[in-house]
Amino acid sequence: MKRRVKLTFPQQLIKEPIIFTMAKKYDVMPNIRRARVTDTVGEMVLELDGTEENIESGIKSIREQGVEVELIEGDIIE
Amino acid sequence: MGYVSGLKCRECGREYPVDPIYVCEFCFGPLEVVYDYKKIKKVLTRKSIEKRPKSLWRYKELLPIDGEPQVGLNSGFTPLIKADNLAKVLGVRELYVKDDTVAHPTLSFKDRVVAVALTKAKEFGFDTVACASTGNLAHSVSAHGAKAGFKRFVFIPATLEQSKITASLVYEPNLVAVDGNYDEVNRLCSEIANKYKWAFVNINIRPFYAEGSKTHGFEIIEQLGWKAPDNVVVPCASGSLLTKVWKSFKEFKEIGILKELETKVFAAQATGCSPISVAIKQGSDIIRPVRPNTLAKSLAIGNPADGFYAAQVVKETGGYGEDVSDDEIIEGMKLLAKTEGIFAETAGGVTVATAKKLIEQGKIGRNETTVVCITGNGLKTQEALAGRTAEMHHIKPNMDAFEEILKKIGR
Repeated sequence: MKRRVKLTFPQQLIKEPIIFTMAKKYDVMPNIRRARVTDTVGEMVLELDGTEENIESGIKSIREQGVEVELIEGDIIE
Repeated sequence: MGYVSGLKCRECGREYPVDPIYVCEFCFGPLEVVYDYKKIKKVLTRKSIEKRPKSLWRYKELLPIDGEPQVGLNSGFTPLIKADNLAKVLGVRELYVKDDTVAHPTLSFKDRVVAVALTKAKEFGFDTVACASTGNLAHSVSAHGAKAGFKRFVFIPATLEQSKITASLVYEPNLVAVDGNYDEVNRLCSEIANKYKWAFVNINIRPFYAEGSKTHGFEIIEQLGWKAPDNVVVPCASGSLLTKVWKSFKEFKEIGILKELETKVFAAQATGCSPISVAIKQGSDIIRPVRPNTLAKSLAIGNPADGFYAAQVVKETGGYGEDVSDDEIIEGMKLLAKTEGIFAETAGGVTVATAKKLIEQGKIGRNETTVVCITGNGLKTQEALAGRTAEMHHIKPNMDAFEEILKKIGR
């Protein structure tokens, strides 16, 4: 399955190879479509391809490291 | 015949035909409706608008429909009130309230966007409409959808207050209360929207839905006597309304209806959910998602889809963003009610309190013309005022008791 997500990286994680590590560890293929990085924060829009279980584990692991993972649509409960 | 030339990605500029789609396949950027302004300029003038019925559809060439309006024929054209009493309290020369507390049929500005979304859903041939909501959007989809003859699915978090549930259930939609935290409900609804061939108003119909907000801005210009204000203060949840109010002003300039446009656009948020105003104040291009914690529930969107674009508009126009505490929100609601006789929901308190702050900071000039956008009715969020209003006078049924009270009041 594929899931489209938006990641927000805090300053201390901008230099870390977070996506690469997740991809290797959980066998999830990231396809980066867009990114914005400033001195203090980074934002990345990408598609994750893998089994549902692996994608969930991958997202959980990067969340635990401090990356914010959100729906690409933004919050849809209005 | 419509005047839409297509959809365009706001990020990479790639173009798409008019379909129920909402993100760019390449960069996942949001899609925006693009119009043929040269054609519109030939048919839409101040005079042609003034001859039409007083509803949001009087600007139909600048809305993303192909045929005639089908839903919400009585929506829009809410009053623009010259708020002299409030202006005096805030110490400004000229202040107006754009009052969507009386929007038809469900008393919030969502009646505008849903009218446009459901007309488009009809044109696309959908028989079912849906949304995920904690209040205003649910009410509007339920009501407009009932009148228009759609099957309706409305998803709400199971913890929602009973008064808000009743105000949707009365229209008999399929109301689905989802157990789980906010993120789980959000994600489930996104998955449902991607699986079922429904018109999910703020997902696959979003590019068209959002355009309905422009009518709030068109009306401000028309009701000011075809002039743009110096400042406009707009409450921000997803940030969409702010971007569309600005788009409406620019479109009127583009087609020659507006001669001059130098409006500053200001964003208003609650401090307990202020990703947009914080980014503006920090001068950041990135909107950091937050966990909302505010009584202004209708503005509690922690990951705003249009936050970046709203912040850009503020920057482009020389405006600013501010946020206010829950106490300031209540005071804002009460101030609007006791000066102008308008009972707005908590979001209205946010806008009034933010305008007050911006005036005190000197960001909004005291000799300028300012419009504050009030987006929903206070009857919907009465619980926010529990124990915070003035107290009533309770008396025995005799004249002595009444006159005792009169003495206390000081008359």
